[in-house]
Amino acid sequence: MLIGNRFFAAKIAALVIIIFLFAGCASTEPREIVVDEHSLPETEQIQTSEVDPYEGFNRSMFRFNDHLDDYVAKPISDVYVWMTPGFVKIGVSNFFSNLKDINVVLNDHMQGKFQQGVEDVGRFFTNSTLGFFGFIDVASDLGLPKHEEDFGQTLAVWGVPQGAYLVLPVIGPTTVRGVPGGVFDVAANPTTYIGMPVQLVSMLNTRANAEGALKFIDEAAIDPYVFTREAYLQNQKHLITDGQGKANVDVLPLEDDLLNDVDTGDSKNKNTVDPTGNKSPSAQIDVANQNLDNAVTALDKANTSLEQTAGKLDKLKKKRRFKRR
Amino acid sequence: MFKKIFSNLLLLFCVTFTSISIADELSARQVVDDFQNELLAVMKQGKELGFKGRYDKLDIAVRKSHDLPKIARIVVGKQWEELSAEQQATLEKVFSQLSISAYAHNFKEFTGESFTFISEEETGRGGVVIHTNLHIPNEKDVKFDYMMKKKDDGWRIINIIADGVSDLALKRSEYTSVLSKDGFDVLIAKITEKINNYAAQ
Repeated sequence: MLIGNRFFAAKIAALVIIIFLFAGCASTEPREIVVDEHSLPETEQIQTSEVDPYEGFNRSMFRFNDHLDDYVAKPISDVYVWMTPGFVKIGVSNFFSNLKDINVVLNDHMQGKFQQGVEDVGRFFTNSTLGFFGFIDVASDLGLPKHEEDFGQTLAVWGVPQGAYLVLPVIGPTTVRGVPGGVFDVAANPTTYIGMPVQLVSMLNTRANAEGALKFIDEAAIDPYVFTREAYLQNQKHLITDGQGKANVDVLPLEDDLLNDVDTGDSKNKNTVDPTGNKSPSAQIDVANQNLDNAVTALDKANTSLEQTAGKLDKLKKKRRFKRR
Repeated sequence: MFKKIFSNLLLLFCVTFTSISIADELSARQVVDDFQNELLAVMKQGKELGFKGRYDKLDIAVRKSHDLPKIARIVVGKQWEELSAEQQATLEKVFSQLSISAYAHNFKEFTGESFTFISEEETGRGGVVIHTNLHIPNEKDVKFDYMMKKKDDGWRIINIIADGVSDLALKRSEYTSVLSKDGFDVLIAKITEKINNYAAQ
């Protein structure tokens, strides 16, 4: 049996680690684009928006992540979903969600949401005890709902500007502000310090939970890269403001601008409306972006090799298809 | 005496009733409410209806409640004016089909979902936003905000914002990106492909 083969298991483990990091970021890019892009200087053909100055680079990363998901993360996740009974999957999902609540509590307090912080402490202890180490989410039924807080949101609340949109290899969509946010969140998650098998399950769980969203993007998106970027940035705003008032205030004038564009018909005289609602970046963001430039130069180099890998994966896919036929 | 009072009341009733039915096209809230009810009704019979059946029912419900021609114009932004009349008509047609297909695909079964009205908010330039919650059993509620604009014959949905993600802004980014990168024909081809995928599932 293969399962008894240690070497095989180690290989799978290595693959899963890759997936894991990547889970939640991938989506599918239509193949026809993939085929063309190697031959085209994409930075020239793509309009860069202010929020996404590294679109060319980001698109390459997006494509790489997409391939990684197609060939590694999704197949393994599908097996996990297929072989695991529904109630176990829910339990596993609850367990990791409960561990994340520690980070939620920290960020509640750092954002000055003390009432919510107290509730989330109650939530964590309720689920950790009555809920059998978090496997059952009893707290939600007792009126202590799950909150979504992380350090990226905390930085936003503290006034740190968002900075440019980034797609990182394996990790997926984020922003300049989201990078330190992500590092803190990983450090504040006990799963990070638990042994490998638990981390693997955690990864599988993350990817399995993302399945619905990824399928939706696949079905709905005309341009999956743009779809993912806009949905990610808009949802971030929603989370930062906890869906209260401000999010609407941000969105509505934008819609009015859109409507006005068409109504008045003199759209050519208007300034470009950034669909994400992000106005011209402040000087602060410029500084952040300059600092980032160095990092991006290094990443660009990495990207060349990733592109080659993506090419190889494409070939592999063709071979697989051929074999199937 | 009673007869007279009665007939007066009756008259009053009739007058009031007719004046209501003339003056009162549906309010913005009612348009959303009706649409959500129709959506739930289609979901409840989702399996028996099949994709085609759901599409046909929603075709009426969506066109009645959404201003699809206007949405189609907004999603391509400034480039709308650079399209020929024929291209504009094509875009409007396939965009409407895509919107209805997406509804027919995504709302195919009923598992106890319900919509709750939260509040109504006036925006600038005569717009209204209807805030609602979609409740899905065992899942977190999804906020559905409907942005409404008044047309000649009543209120219409112009945008849906789900948990802070604006459908209009999302589509606009996508469509303008594809248009400027790949051109009109590719955009239409991509939309058509999506419609076919929805129908095939």
